Amino acid sequence: MADTTQQAIQLAGAMVGGGLALGGGAVGAAIGDGLAGSQTIAGVARQPEAQGRLFTIMFLTVGLVEAMYFINLAFTALFIFVLYKK
Amino acid sequence: MTSMGPWFGSPLLALVPSVGEHVVRKVAGLSIDLDTVWATGAAVVITCALGLLVRRQLTSGVPGKLQLAWETGIQLVTRQIEGSIGPRGLAIVPLAVALFVFILIANLFEFVGIGSRYEWLGAPTGDINLPLAMAVFVILLVHMASIRERGIGGYVKHYLLQPFPKFLFPLNLFINFVEELSKPLTLALRLFGNLLSGTLMLSVIAFLGAWKLGSAPVGDVLVVPFNAIWKAFDLFIAVVQAFIFSLLTILYFDTAMSTEH
Repeated sequence: MADTTQQAIQLAGAMVGGGLALGGGAVGAAIGDGLAGSQTIAGVARQPEAQGRLFTIMFLTVGLVEAMYFINLAFTALFIFVLYKK
Repeated sequence: MTSMGPWFGSPLLALVPSVGEHVVRKVAGLSIDLDTVWATGAAVVITCALGLLVRRQLTSGVPGKLQLAWETGIQLVTRQIEGSIGPRGLAIVPLAVALFVFILIANLFEFVGIGSRYEWLGAPTGDINLPLAMAVFVILLVHMASIRERGIGGYVKHYLLQPFPKFLFPLNLFINFVEELSKPLTLALRLFGNLLSGTLMLSVIAFLGAWKLGSAPVGDVLVVPFNAIWKAFDLFIAVVQAFIFSLLTILYFDTAMSTEH
């Protein structure tokens, strides 16, 4: 009986922790991508012939920003699937 | 698990995708993920085959498409390195190009994946071991290049003397230690996390195939467009992550070999 309760608490903790990690990561990644995109749009509006170079830098920044989200996703998968196995 | 009523059809919540499971064998006390080794070997064979093929077709006349692709890539990397480090960094060009091509090919194995539990040819960068090994190897080379460039004394002084003034050197040591520790970790986890999300989404989409409305296999039909959309996005991610790994390698060499201050 206590074992089921403990297992339920562990599962609940894993799910909530995973959800928090995903939520925080998604918000951060979205804001970061939005900032990078907005600066690119401003730069292209100012100087349309720099579009190719600016796009390259924008995708580079997007890759770095999304890395934080995907690291969070990897940890969420760790929390949920390593714990749910029990 | 109860069904959500007749409108939703069969219950989906009881299915749990298995994430990060590998075929493990124990060899001499170490456990080895055999499917990762197999996929890494395949990626290495393809990379070396591409290199040897262009070497056989090498001509100083009008280049063929493969030679053009290699030359463009190497020129991009060389320009980036010469812009940041200068001519002494040209020894890094083979490392950066090899990393980019190998990681790109390893990531592209994602496209022959169907989301099964053990893929016959999965992306080896979706296992934490391969990105971690590559990141540790690259950071080791960076530190060796830094020691060779600055000398042992200069190397140690660089970590003791910035960013705060000299008498705060324990704080300097701590901050620089955390920064240097975070470099291989983020390098590995970034690549691993991106590819793990690809594998995870593929198995989640595969589980969509179990959705039935009554007896109509709605899920099976929906799997095809979802797979197409997700794999298109994953193609973009594969290229960007390979590019970022090699670009960050170059930048780490740059900061390690700079002798300003």
